[in-house]
Amino acid sequence: MDEKKHLGQKELNERVKHARLCTGCGACVNLCPYQRAYEDKVLAIFPCDLDVGRCYAFCPRTPVDLEALRGLLFDPQDLTPEVGAVKGFYVTRSRNTKERSRAQHGGTVTALMSLALKEGIIDTAVMADRGGTFLPEAVTENDSRKVAMHGKSSFVVSPNVAEFNRLAKGSSEKIGAVATPCQALAYAKMRMKPIPERDNNIDKLKLVVGLFCGWALSWERLMDLLAAKTELAAITGLDIPPSRYQAMHIYTTNGTIEVPIDEVNRCIRGACHYCFDMTAEFSDISVGSARLSEGWEEARGWNQVIVRTDLGLELVELARKKRRLEFREVPEGNLQRLKAASLNKKGMALKNLKLRTHSQDDLIYLNKEDPAFKNLIKGG
Amino acid sequence: MDMNTLQKDPYNIIITGVGGQGNVTASRMLAGMLVGRGYSVTIGETFGASQRGGSVMSHMRISSHGAWSPQIPKGKVDLVVSLEPSETIKVLSGYGNPETQSLSNDRPIYPVRVIAGDDKYPSMDEIRATIENLTARSFMISATEEALKLGNPIYQNVIMIGAVGGMDLLPVSIDDFREVIGRGMPEDKAAVNVKAYEIGEALVRN
Amino acid sequence: MSNLLDTNEGAHYLYMGNDAIVRGALEGGVSVAAGYPGTPSSEIIEQLARISDRRSLYVEWATNEKIATEIAAAASFAGLRSICTMKQNGVHVASDFLLHLTGTGVRGGMVVVVCEDPGALSSQNEADARYFAKMLEVPLLEPGDFQEAKDMMKWALELSEELKTFVIFRSVTRMSHASGNVVIGELPENEPRAYFQYKGPLLDFLTGPMVTGPGVVAYARTVQQGRLKRAVSLFEQSRFNIYAGPERPELLIITSSACYLYSKEAIHTLNLGDRVGLLKLGTTWPLPEGLVRKHLAAAQKVLVVEEPQDFMEENIKILAADAAGEVGVKTFYGKKSGHVPTSGELNPDIIMNTLKGILGIQYEPVPQEYATKAFQSMFKSPGRELTFCPGCPHRASFLSLHNALALDNRDGFVCGDVGCYGIGVLPAGFSTVKTNFSMGSGLGLATGFGKLTKFGMNQPVVAVCGDSTFFHAVMPALVDAVHHQSDVTLVVLDNSGTAMTGFQPHPGLAVDAMGETAPSIDIEAVCRAIGADVASSDPFDVERTEKTLLGMLKKKGAKVVILRQICALSPEKRGKKKYQMSVREDVCIGENCGCNRMCTRILRCPGIYWDTARKVSRIDEVICAGCGVCASVCPSGAIQKAEVA
Ligand SMILES: Cc1cc2nc3c(=O)[nH]c(=O)nc-3n(C[C@H](O)[C@H](O)[C@H](O)COP(=O)(O)OP(=O)(O)OC[C@H]3O[C@@H](n4cnc5c(N)ncnc54)[C@H](O)[C@@H]3O)c2cc1C
Ligand code: SF4
Ligand code: SF4
Repeated sequence: MDEKKHLGQKELNERVKHARLCTGCGACVNLCPYQRAYEDKVLAIFPCDLDVGRCYAFCPRTPVDLEALRGLLFDPQDLTPEVGAVKGFYVTRSRNTKERSRAQHGGTVTALMSLALKEGIIDTAVMADRGGTFLPEAVTENDSRKVAMHGKSSFVVSPNVAEFNRLAKGSSEKIGAVATPCQALAYAKMRMKPIPERDNNIDKLKLVVGLFCGWALSWERLMDLLAAKTELAAITGLDIPPSRYQAMHIYTTNGTIEVPIDEVNRCIRGACHYCFDMTAEFSDISVGSARLSEGWEEARGWNQVIVRTDLGLELVELARKKRRLEFREVPEGNLQRLKAASLNKKGMALKNLKLRTHSQDDLIYLNKEDPAFKNLIKGG
Repeated sequence: MDMNTLQKDPYNIIITGVGGQGNVTASRMLAGMLVGRGYSVTIGETFGASQRGGSVMSHMRISSHGAWSPQIPKGKVDLVVSLEPSETIKVLSGYGNPETQSLSNDRPIYPVRVIAGDDKYPSMDEIRATIENLTARSFMISATEEALKLGNPIYQNVIMIGAVGGMDLLPVSIDDFREVIGRGMPEDKAAVNVKAYEIGEALVRN
Repeated sequence: MSNLLDTNEGAHYLYMGNDAIVRGALEGGVSVAAGYPGTPSSEIIEQLARISDRRSLYVEWATNEKIATEIAAAASFAGLRSICTMKQNGVHVASDFLLHLTGTGVRGGMVVVVCEDPGALSSQNEADARYFAKMLEVPLLEPGDFQEAKDMMKWALELSEELKTFVIFRSVTRMSHASGNVVIGELPENEPRAYFQYKGPLLDFLTGPMVTGPGVVAYARTVQQGRLKRAVSLFEQSRFNIYAGPERPELLIITSSACYLYSKEAIHTLNLGDRVGLLKLGTTWPLPEGLVRKHLAAAQKVLVVEEPQDFMEENIKILAADAAGEVGVKTFYGKKSGHVPTSGELNPDIIMNTLKGILGIQYEPVPQEYATKAFQSMFKSPGRELTFCPGCPHRASFLSLHNALALDNRDGFVCGDVGCYGIGVLPAGFSTVKTNFSMGSGLGLATGFGKLTKFGMNQPVVAVCGDSTFFHAVMPALVDAVHHQSDVTLVVLDNSGTAMTGFQPHPGLAVDAMGETAPSIDIEAVCRAIGADVASSDPFDVERTEKTLLGMLKKKGAKVVILRQICALSPEKRGKKKYQMSVREDVCIGENCGCNRMCTRILRCPGIYWDTARKVSRIDEVICAGCGVCASVCPSGAIQKAEVA
């Protein structure tokens, strides 16, 4: 490891981009004219020779002290080694059926963002639109009634943090972001203000709603896969039900096509194999699909929600009070199952990182002493 | 100054600068004045590609008998007129000799590599010292600044020509300039040019 | 201002070489002139066009050099005197027609004026066009100073008409773009009528059809060779072949063109007038054999000084071998012997060195102490890399091209072409250009690359060309690209003129060389008609241009993007700022993370510079052209633009 804590664009591109660890989160984009996002890639279009840069400092794949981030963002007593801070665990859905119909699962994310805008907790929301060709586009929304238009998941990464970086320079004062785990980590690193005199106006970031994430797909490979299965124009949505279903569902105007998970696995963005976080541990609230005893057809209309911070709790309770979210009892063992899945992802990431470095000690961007990993390392 | 003889034959001048500064116009004006006096003038010029930000030179030979090479031999320049300070050095180091005199405009034009931070531009003191070290007599004037006072940087060339006149090296006077500039130029425009010439003359005479 | 039409015979003027050529053509009664712009030839057509109405001339900027020669030949066939002009490589373009033209010869005097660029000061080659004279079997004339440039041009027209063959008149940069005193002669009062006589018998090239064809080639060549023989006898007496020096020189220099002035200077500076003889030839093909033999006989050592190739040296050696019995065995110095450089431009210093070597003399131009000082000082003055002018649309176009290729991320590249945009190879053009050859070859190469997908090549290929180049040689390549479905993007950098050579109009403009209204040919419509997918953008709109380019790179097949914005040096724009630019010091973040000097480090426009003391960027009022592009790349909004009323 370098003696210097922060480095610049050169090292970012050598150690993250060229090492194929880039998540495409966009944290390094829109800080300056040199790092740009295009399609699902982030590129250095001109070299920058500064030896300390925010791009390097904010990137979720440069070395990070997760303990320090946890200390900054969460109550110590809420922390779990498997899924990070847990203040509450719920199964919810939006009470608005129209909202649900436009959502990926229960529309919880949509409902929460919409509420936050309506109540003035935030004035601007950063989300992602799927776009015509499954290439998501980061979007900004100020109107609580329009949040639902940006529903549904895009399984290709969207450089949402780049959109935050752009907004932070402008007139928005209270920004809320929907974030994948890598994006949530980038925001958390910004919140540490690693370069105090150029803090990226991170204090404008008021809310982070995280998404559970197993992995994201490479756009080109996804397009090839979809094109091989059906007319692109006929596709209305995609989903990946919990792992035991072993398939991706392509919803089309002519019904659902199931794609064996092996075929999907081949489309996974390489960088995701090195990601330790399944539940977006560095958010205020994390949302994912639900597991219900009634099976996937019922479960796909609900979400599992981890509340992690006071702000997150406040917002969820407000949603209950304002009748924006409907709650149902959390099935027994759900949190345990989630923790197991989360641990599984951590274990895979650590294994892959070690394979990359051919070393038990070098985890590239992670610290082997971190309490979340210590046991896993010993184990494998 | 004896208006009928040259100090040397041929008398060699290099007018230098950066592409786009108008050194061609400057050499034409000066040559016009000399031809008007009956001298033969040969000029060799750089056109085309180097006019895009490169160093440019006009080699000027003034003689009582016919054409000379449009390229002055090394070490044979008598007077260097430079529209850009650092370019003076470039010309002197190639064509200068201990008797060479020079006249430079003090307004730098930074090469792109300097603008980009890949190269350094010497300080004005360093430029001045280097020029003095390579010349018998040298002048550095603020032609661009003076031209801006007249309302347009393009007058810098005329100011430089005026200063050449003021150095009393050549058998030319302001009347020769009036004659040249008067051809095909409206009176009011010619008047500003004559003014610029006078400014140049005064800058080296004081 | 022009004094090219003055009638006070005997007056002397300071003429640029090209002006002298113009005056000579006028004195020789030229009626039609056509050319294609190319440094150092361009001013000839420009000046003729300017005065065309006062002399009743027809002058045109032809679409390419071959057409220029055809325009001139037509005039000659109809009995008029004509010239066509081009730079050295233009002869290669025109040569197919010229080769055939020797098959009939001409009627009215016709001169092909070639202005070469030894040293390639403003070229991508230093071709020696003199070889064409020998190959095509036509006379070659080379003036040795400015007076001769005028006189010889006049004579060339007369000679051509007398011999009934076109004549090549060869100038070089240091002749065309140098200036000197010229005594003017009489301007003829002529109002020729044009009529093409074809009613005579076949193979009667004075009254019959002007045709070449199988079966008559041998005959036609015999006729042409007869003309050349007559030329030799005329050349023996020519006043353009002159000798100065002792009767029996220790060393005989044979030279021509600008090298004559260099040689003269070298002899003068080294004070060798009584040891070295100087034979200057004005008629360099066919050689005036008798004259050359006579001078060869008088000297034992012979030095041939010429540039860029050893054209004369070879021919003189052949002559000397043939006449060995008469002139004796000679020691030759020149390019073959290594005494004269075989590439690059010559100058008096080089010839002095050559003479020092051959004659074993000492000469130092300045005292050693000064030379050392001078050498040490040289490095104090920073070098000047070429760049686009301030306000040049190409800078913005190449920025967008660079960004689009970088974002596209498949190692795409640009095939360059001939014009200012060749600078695209350098950082000024963000180093996007990766091939650069002759006129139109950018798209030709790109079309070839675009067919290599079959072999796994996935790199997007872009060709750039200027608006003038488009008409000159790119159109056929575009036809090829469309027809063969090559995956290629042509970017036409349409800056409304032939900028490199000084804004000559071309077929895309609504004006011709003589300033008259002319139907303009719409590049966009042409590309569409050929079948390309076409888009256009204003390069100063950096964001939109980048998007347009990115979109096109993704598409298959032949695409064209027209980037239209007038050249910063164009008469319409020069000296007129659209925006008053300024930098807000309090907003400029300069070297800090978030910018790191985008405007000066990357954009590198000469109009903006980095104030090292205050650590902010600044606009140089004098240089800035007010295009506003830097404002659109500044990430912090520190560069302000205010519209100039
Ligand atoms: C790449 C990816 C992988 C995922 N993997 C899993 C998983 O393995 N297990 C699991 O339980 N859940 C996963 N999810 C989360 C899941 O798909 C739903 O987003 C989540 O359950 C919330 O559902 P909802 O109905 O509340 O969403 P909605 O109300 O439809 O809201 C979804 C929100 O996410 C935003 N969004 C969509 N795509 C992206 C993106 N690529 N990047 C950032 N924001 C985006 C939208 O703008 C919208 O605001 C994944 C999501 C993504 C984007
Ligand atoms: S992971 Fe995010 S911050 Fe890091 S290089 Fe990739 S896009 Fe940039
Ligand atoms: S974020 Fe800063 S360090 Fe990184 S590339 Fe941009 S200017 Fe350079």
